[in-house]
Amino acid sequence: MGDAGEGKKEDENKKVIHTYPLVVKSDMSDEMKSEAIEMCVTACEKFNANNEAAAKMIKEMMDKKCGPSWQVVVGEGYGFEITFECKTLLYMFFGGNVAIVVWKCS
Amino acid sequence: MPQKPPPRKPPPVTTQKSASRLRSIKSPVKVKSSYQLREPGGEESDPWLKGKSLLKPDDQLDLSEKELQEEITRSLVVKNPLIHSDWVEYSYKDRAFISCEPQPNFITVQELESKVIHVESPEAADQLHETPQVAPVAKSEDFKNEIEEEPIKEDEEADEEKDEEDDDKFNEKREADSEMQSNGASEGQKKKLTNQFNFSDRAALTSVYPTREIGTQTIPPPRNTLNEYVTQWIIYDTYQQDYEAQQREKEKERVSKMTSQVKKEEPRKKSSKGGMDPTMVRLLQAAKIIERMVNQNLYDEISQVNFEMKATEGYVCLFTLKNPSFPEYINYCDSGAMCLDIHSSRSNFIVVGRYDGSVAVYNAHLPIKEAQFESNSVTNKHGGIVWQVCWGPDLIDGDLNFFSVSADGKVCSWIVMQNELSQTLVIHLLLNIDPIAGPNGNQMNLVGCGTAISFHPENPEIFLVGTEEGNIYKCSTAYASLYLFTYEAHHMPVYRIEYNKYSPDIFISCGADWRVKIWEDGRDEPLFVFDLGCSVGDVKWAPYSSTVFAAVTEDCRIHVFDLNVNKYRGICVQNVVAKNRFKLSRLAFNWYLPVIIIGDDKGFITTVKLSPNLRVKAKPPKKNIQMDQRILEQLKLEKLLALVREPTASSNVIDAEQSETSK
Repeated sequence: MGDAGEGKKEDENKKVIHTYPLVVKSDMSDEMKSEAIEMCVTACEKFNANNEAAAKMIKEMMDKKCGPSWQVVVGEGYGFEITFECKTLLYMFFGGNVAIVVWKCS
Repeated sequence: MPQKPPPRKPPPVTTQKSASRLRSIKSPVKVKSSYQLREPGGEESDPWLKGKSLLKPDDQLDLSEKELQEEITRSLVVKNPLIHSDWVEYSYKDRAFISCEPQPNFITVQELESKVIHVESPEAADQLHETPQVAPVAKSEDFKNEIEEEPIKEDEEADEEKDEEDDDKFNEKREADSEMQSNGASEGQKKKLTNQFNFSDRAALTSVYPTREIGTQTIPPPRNTLNEYVTQWIIYDTYQQDYEAQQREKEKERVSKMTSQVKKEEPRKKSSKGGMDPTMVRLLQAAKIIERMVNQNLYDEISQVNFEMKATEGYVCLFTLKNPSFPEYINYCDSGAMCLDIHSSRSNFIVVGRYDGSVAVYNAHLPIKEAQFESNSVTNKHGGIVWQVCWGPDLIDGDLNFFSVSADGKVCSWIVMQNELSQTLVIHLLLNIDPIAGPNGNQMNLVGCGTAISFHPENPEIFLVGTEEGNIYKCSTAYASLYLFTYEAHHMPVYRIEYNKYSPDIFISCGADWRVKIWEDGRDEPLFVFDLGCSVGDVKWAPYSSTVFAAVTEDCRIHVFDLNVNKYRGICVQNVVAKNRFKLSRLAFNWYLPVIIIGDDKGFITTVKLSPNLRVKAKPPKKNIQMDQRILEQLKLEKLLALVREPTASSNVIDAEQSETSK
């Protein structure tokens, strides 16, 4: 199913391919948000074939910059239900096929 | 300590003693003096001794090598020859000699009192007996030293003694203790055996504080939950939506920009109403004829001024074609606004000439409804109605300046300073007739009333001034009170002069004598004369063509001429508003759109669209299609002018015919 979807999507993508970071939902402060987006972009560009490494990198950088207990999910298709501390959620798409959830919960 | 070889000859007693004690063997002992070892030439070869001179005691014997090598055997015996064997003392108590105990065979060399006592000493035993809890402790160095003199054999003897002590029925427990102590010494479990006179051991115990536990709980940081489901389709759709939203935003921005631009492009009409003081009859007459002033600047704003008969109040209004019902900008002034001009590059600056002779500069960007600059109403103003104002090119230092022409016969230049307007007289329009006698016998120069002004499009120093006497003077801002040329143009007041937009040598004028005339610079006869049968309020060259102009008359007609099509009469004559009720006063072409704006003396503004045949553009000759439109227009005009440059009777004849017919 996923393969079929991707194939279809690629057909459509031939028209327009959007790869810019698109924030779906975020309640971070603007400063934090821009920083986190930048981090996600950096990580996903660095490990564009390895979501796990990208997630690890994002998590470690967020831990370093904004205190511990960050959680990061990077993937192409998944569902989630999370509890996050307010002002620490970022849910964004990047590269046209990757969804990134970053939140903090200790 | 005695075991060490003493620096000097060891005392024989000690040697004897140790020999007897340690070995109990009477055997000759080889003793080598340490001196011998250190003798030069000996086997001593320590490197650090090299180079050192040996100190020799003065009484040292000089021995030969042989003598030194000779072994001297000395026998040590247990018996100390120095000790008297039969030492007796006299006892007065017994009144007899009694033999003393023989002196012991050892000499106490050093005695140190120790803090600890030997575990096997009787002292220790006593102490253990008294305080069984205090455990005896290991031997200290000092103690070792003390017992050093006791030979090992004696230890064995002590063991035997201990056995005996065991036999002596020592408390079993105590015995075990001491056993343990002796064992413990070897095992490292050392107990203190204190010398009770020379030992102190103190300790203090502070009170122990009980520990307490205190805890608080803060409010946990607020949390929220989120659940989402994400697939490739969702990601794609979201991107798509976002992209569309962005596109829409851009579109909107573009539209808003465009509309704002369009708005700017829209010609604005400006009307101001003014009135006339009824007591000034002559001025009333003059004001009945409507003066118009049109200006097109770079933003193609067309302004139009209307004024009514009352001079008590006036308004400056900016209209846009988008909203004809209400002005975009409205400004009140306490005197009738007669004319205005919008700055060509800074379109927010509007200069207004007033009925009372003052001039004012308005900034349409400012929200305040007052003039930004205003001439002083007492000293710094014209003595008559300001009929026309006209922005000049900016000065070198960036200051704005404009010119005004007034009914008092003066043309003034105004410079917009930081806070004020500074006035400079450019020319005083004196008539070319002799001074006449004044009422008091003095001579008076007659002054022409300036009504219209137009600057040369290429030379900003040259300008034309029209007067109520009908003359047009060509003047220069460089020479005051000197006319470069005088045209006797009209028999009645000149209402408008305008240079052709394509050929700077050609200009058009109109006046109250029903005529519109086209002139060439430096030629005192007009090239064309048109009689419109009524007082001509305004005339304007079309911006798009060199040969098209329009004029409005008091009988509510607008005449559009295209000399290229018809040199003798207008190609379009149109009744614009109801006759007899209005008099058309002002006219303006839109710079871009084929629209003419007409103002009348009641304050109404009418917009007329030109039909396509009125705005035919010049067609280039077929061979070179790439020619510039401006050059084409110039050529067209030039070709036309070539026909009329030679004074032909035809134009005059036509003029005469027309005037006759209209009469």
